[in-house]
Amino acid sequence: MSESILSLRGLRKSFGDIEIIRGVDFELLDHERHAIIGPNGAGKSTLFHLISGSLTPTSGEIILDQQQIGGWEPEKINHLGLSRSFQITNIFPKLTTFENVRLAVMRSHGLQYAFWKFIERDVRVREETERLLEMVRLESRSSTLAGEMSYSEQRSLEIAMTLASDPKVILLDEPMAGMSHDETDYTASLIRDVTQGRALMIVEHDMDVVFSLSDRISVLVYGEIIATGTPEEIRNNAKVKEAYLGEEATA
Amino acid sequence: MKTQSVLFITAIALLLAIPFLLSQGLVDAAIQMLIAALFASAYNLLCGQAGMLSFGHAAYFGMGAFATVHAMNALDGTGLLPTPFMPLAGAVGGLLFGIVAGYFSTKRSGTYFAMITLAIAELVHALAPQLKDMFGGESGISAMRMPAWGFTFGSTNEVYYLTLVWVLLSIALLFLFTRTPLGRLTLGLRENAHRLRFLGYNTHRLSIMVFAISAMFSGIAGGLQVVSNEAANYVLFDAHLSAAVVLNTYIGGVGSFLGPVLGASVMTFFGYAVSDLTQSWLLYQGTLFVLVMMFMPTGLAGIIASLGGLHKRFGVASLAPLVVLSVISALLLSAGGTFVIEMLQRMLSQNYQSLASLQTATRWPDILLFGQSWPPASISTWLVPISLLAVGAVMGYLAKQWVQILIQREALKSESNQSEKEVVE
Repeated sequence: MSESILSLRGLRKSFGDIEIIRGVDFELLDHERHAIIGPNGAGKSTLFHLISGSLTPTSGEIILDQQQIGGWEPEKINHLGLSRSFQITNIFPKLTTFENVRLAVMRSHGLQYAFWKFIERDVRVREETERLLEMVRLESRSSTLAGEMSYSEQRSLEIAMTLASDPKVILLDEPMAGMSHDETDYTASLIRDVTQGRALMIVEHDMDVVFSLSDRISVLVYGEIIATGTPEEIRNNAKVKEAYLGEEATA
Repeated sequence: MKTQSVLFITAIALLLAIPFLLSQGLVDAAIQMLIAALFASAYNLLCGQAGMLSFGHAAYFGMGAFATVHAMNALDGTGLLPTPFMPLAGAVGGLLFGIVAGYFSTKRSGTYFAMITLAIAELVHALAPQLKDMFGGESGISAMRMPAWGFTFGSTNEVYYLTLVWVLLSIALLFLFTRTPLGRLTLGLRENAHRLRFLGYNTHRLSIMVFAISAMFSGIAGGLQVVSNEAANYVLFDAHLSAAVVLNTYIGGVGSFLGPVLGASVMTFFGYAVSDLTQSWLLYQGTLFVLVMMFMPTGLAGIIASLGGLHKRFGVASLAPLVVLSVISALLLSAGGTFVIEMLQRMLSQNYQSLASLQTATRWPDILLFGQSWPPASISTWLVPISLLAVGAVMGYLAKQWVQILIQREALKSESNQSEKEVVE
């Protein structure tokens, strides 16, 4: 396998006296799809917040592309090529769907402080925006206000925005939550396609998706990773069965 | 699209014709309206588009004004720039102060942002009279408009056209700004600044830029004020001006680009027309603001937009009764309200109170209002405003009912259309 693009070393995070992340060591390899699973409250979202810059680690290291990024500003981490989606939909509700994606696309085209040119004239940005909308099957909704779309459409929009910066590392936090069976299938194959040649870290509760999509799976329980391995290894791991799937290990 | 350009050209033509149509006093008022419209437009960039509610925008208006007055007095009174370019000094003044103030205030958002802008404006207001060299102390600084390019700039009309050109140019630039990447990100700042950070944007820097641009155009408005008045005084920093721009912007409607322009023009005109007639103009302004916020939070622009929507849906004929009813209702309600406010204002005034205490025979002497004398103690006096308000309220209610009837009629029509179709099939 190739070398790791994101490493967590002895990562810890406490809120007051309560330790949520309790010494996580983790390697995300380049070009791998890696799922994080674990029961509710295990710290999966906290882990994402730490990596993406929402939270500052209490101790330990986060190394992205040979840089220690623990405690960096989210925008700086994004500039290194990491992009994330949110578990709770996080869009621009009163702007159109097109505008939502365009805001996400503009950054990677170096258009953040420009006030001397018109955005409509920028063909590259428009084409890229249209391509992303088509990809997540929202092209017919492009002039709808994002806040007025259905929940699952907003989830698709969230994915399009996450992909807009052409990131090297993608963090998806429950991208399929609230989607129908058909939408989940489509989104799973979409994620498989667009993460070709990138590294993906995904938190998802749909086990079918997790086991079919991932190259490797890590199991997070009470702030610690108790196992990492291929889907097959995880399925047969006694510790995982006991802690996560709730089965008796004695069987 | 076509009606829009026709409206646009008509508006420009009217603005150009104003000095030929109106008296000098009204042209003066028109200059004030234009300046207020630009100020509100600049303010709306920050408040309406970026969602940052500033309570201290007088500071940037005032900085622009003082920068301009110093530019006019520079080089022994010949001026740093030719008179037509003087508002540029205001732009620079507003921009520079806006960058500094914006750096601090945009570190926080929401209420904290509003408090910081308020504090900065109060700080400047308190400091200005102490700094005699810069702000001229209590008496302020005066300057002279120098002739340039064959114009003397001695007449009100020349000042009017100078102001008009600057205001139109600035509002056009502010409009074009909304089409740029930074202009689109301004909306993103309002909608969800948190998400912008995870898309890789430095939201603090974006906020400073938007703040500074808003301050720059406010500075141009301040500069125009000085070019028109040939003087600047620390009163320009007064909280009253900061409040006025907030009220004007909201009355006009923060949701649309031209709403604040409309609100500021209308309110400034009323202020000019009414301030000689009443001592309670601020009370009217405040009441109007409260009513707008309660009953039409989208402002004047919102009313126009919803009227346009109803017009499209129901046509002119069905809409005419609604408009007539609403206008009559509004007139009656304002007349009743004005009567009450003016009566009370006169009754509570010190003059009247002392007069009343002297005259022991009639406890409440008559009050002269609208060319007639009214005995405040008689019921018939108060029946006038009460009946005005009551009839106005009924008219308003009828107008509301009319809309309901229209909607029901439309529903019935579409139903019968459907059943007809079914029969045909």
